[in-house]
Amino acid sequence: MPATLSPRKALHEWQLYLFLVPSLVLVATFMYFPAASAIYHSFFDWQGGDAARFTGLANYRRVLNDVVLWRSFETIGILIIANIIKLIPSILLAVLIHRLGSEKWQYWYRVLLVLPMIVPGLVRLFIWKFFFDPNFGILNKVLDFTGGKTLLIALDHHFLRWGIFHAGVPVPWLSESHLIVPSLIIWGFPWIGTVGVLIYLAGLQSIGTEVYEAADLDGVNSFQKFIHIELPLIMTQVRLSLVLLIIGTLQGFGLQFLLLGANGGAGGSGMVPGLWMFNRAFSAGEFGYACALGMVLFIFILALTLLNNKYVRVEK
Amino acid sequence: MTDGQTIAKGRKSADWLKHLVIGGILLIEMFPFYMMLQISFKDNAMFNRSPWLPAWITSWHWENWIFGARLVTPYLANTVFISVSATVGSIVIAVMGAYFFARYRMPFSGILWSAFLVLMLMPGVANIVPLFLLLKEMHLLNTLWALVILGVAGGQVFNIYVLRNFIEDIPKDLFEAAEIDGASHFQQIMNVVIPLSGSIIGTLAILTFLGSWNDFLMPLIVLRDRQLFPLGVGLIYLDGEPVKEWGRTMATYFLASLPLIILFLFTMKLFVRGLSAGAIKG
Repeated sequence: MPATLSPRKALHEWQLYLFLVPSLVLVATFMYFPAASAIYHSFFDWQGGDAARFTGLANYRRVLNDVVLWRSFETIGILIIANIIKLIPSILLAVLIHRLGSEKWQYWYRVLLVLPMIVPGLVRLFIWKFFFDPNFGILNKVLDFTGGKTLLIALDHHFLRWGIFHAGVPVPWLSESHLIVPSLIIWGFPWIGTVGVLIYLAGLQSIGTEVYEAADLDGVNSFQKFIHIELPLIMTQVRLSLVLLIIGTLQGFGLQFLLLGANGGAGGSGMVPGLWMFNRAFSAGEFGYACALGMVLFIFILALTLLNNKYVRVEK
Repeated sequence: MTDGQTIAKGRKSADWLKHLVIGGILLIEMFPFYMMLQISFKDNAMFNRSPWLPAWITSWHWENWIFGARLVTPYLANTVFISVSATVGSIVIAVMGAYFFARYRMPFSGILWSAFLVLMLMPGVANIVPLFLLLKEMHLLNTLWALVILGVAGGQVFNIYVLRNFIEDIPKDLFEAAEIDGASHFQQIMNVVIPLSGSIIGTLAILTFLGSWNDFLMPLIVLRDRQLFPLGVGLIYLDGEPVKEWGRTMATYFLASLPLIILFLFTMKLFVRGLSAGAIKG
């Protein structure tokens, strides 16, 4: 803990305040000011120019009746649930690596894990986009090769009745309205999050080998070890990544934008709230309305964060 | 004794299975990069004939790589400029800010600290629209400086948050000794803080650098002139071309990844340790 200074001594050390000035100025200009501006302009009919007409709560009333927005919240809800399930492989991988006897291997697996991180996110994204390409993509080739396609055709014919899978016709993953959300869910298989795995591994490190030896002597099986020893120890980290993931998914729209464009793809199936805000601002020029959409998103995220602080205590 | 041995043996044979599973997962994880590399030497016809295996070396299409290199080089210079300036600026300013919070508890320290922490809750997405208009007012649209400044500002909260913890852990005696020797606050930062928190500064620098390198949304919004594009935006434009020669595209992707791969080779330990250690802290 830093020592508290009496006001007199602090006056003597006044130069210390200068050290904070650059950060403060930057943060005030590029974070506080835009936020204040967003709140202010959310009450205006504003095309981004000098002319802004005060319209009171009109933007917010429009938000309530905005079909696209509420549908986009449904989509993002599905994606959030999918992303929560996608946390599981990272947890399992961390536990597996941790259970290895050899420290050397643990280190090398960690290095290998970090490797995908050094490939720029965009390159990764575009390679995956290539996987989904109807004619050249790997996904369709795998489906043809393994017979998964036949299964999908049968599924479509008997249950889904979408009429989108046909023998001999490549599956248009990213341009078929029904398939956009499933594609976004498959995206990134096997869903290993490098930072996540490293965080879990750090949490697991506090388990000593003697705990495992005692468990072995008691004849505890692997699954019980996971539930009773490992999972409780990384619960803090799991909760933390859960919160970050939900907030991240809720405000993210880069992936949807790059894959599907500002309109959210065929039938707007890939429209998410962030993208809708972006779309209103930069495609439609409705900056005032976009600000209001941003505020709605902000309120959702703030509510989630507060809920989390109240019910899900993360110990430091 | 025998019990202990069977346990040890049991663990070992199970380890074999674990290696298999971990290896399998990592292989799938690497698969996209394998595909990128091997396709980069083929043309579309070759890829259609045999999509999975690398082509024989005599039939490699090196011109894919020449195409990629020509495309990437000008973008690369912009990206390096943005990322390096943003990282240096962000770290220098954050170290100073963190020093303010960590050295003494000054009047208003508490309020200022909460003012920083609140920003962690603020979603960036709501800010994009006003930020764009602010940059327009400041005549920074379509300049690289806009991206540098945004990078510096954006990194402040997290970097100060982490650095404050580390600077507070430095023994007070060291500061006091320096003070008795007549060191100013600036000299104390140079001679006490920086040498002692070198590794965390390195880690934060890498994270800031990666963040800036991988950002594509702000560059896409801010920049209009092709000669200012960073790598990411360049790749987005390449992706937008209607007819694709996949070999060329993949070669370009690989070349676009190369700088980070080289950086990683030199800073591997810092990467792995820093990410793990940073994970423990917060």
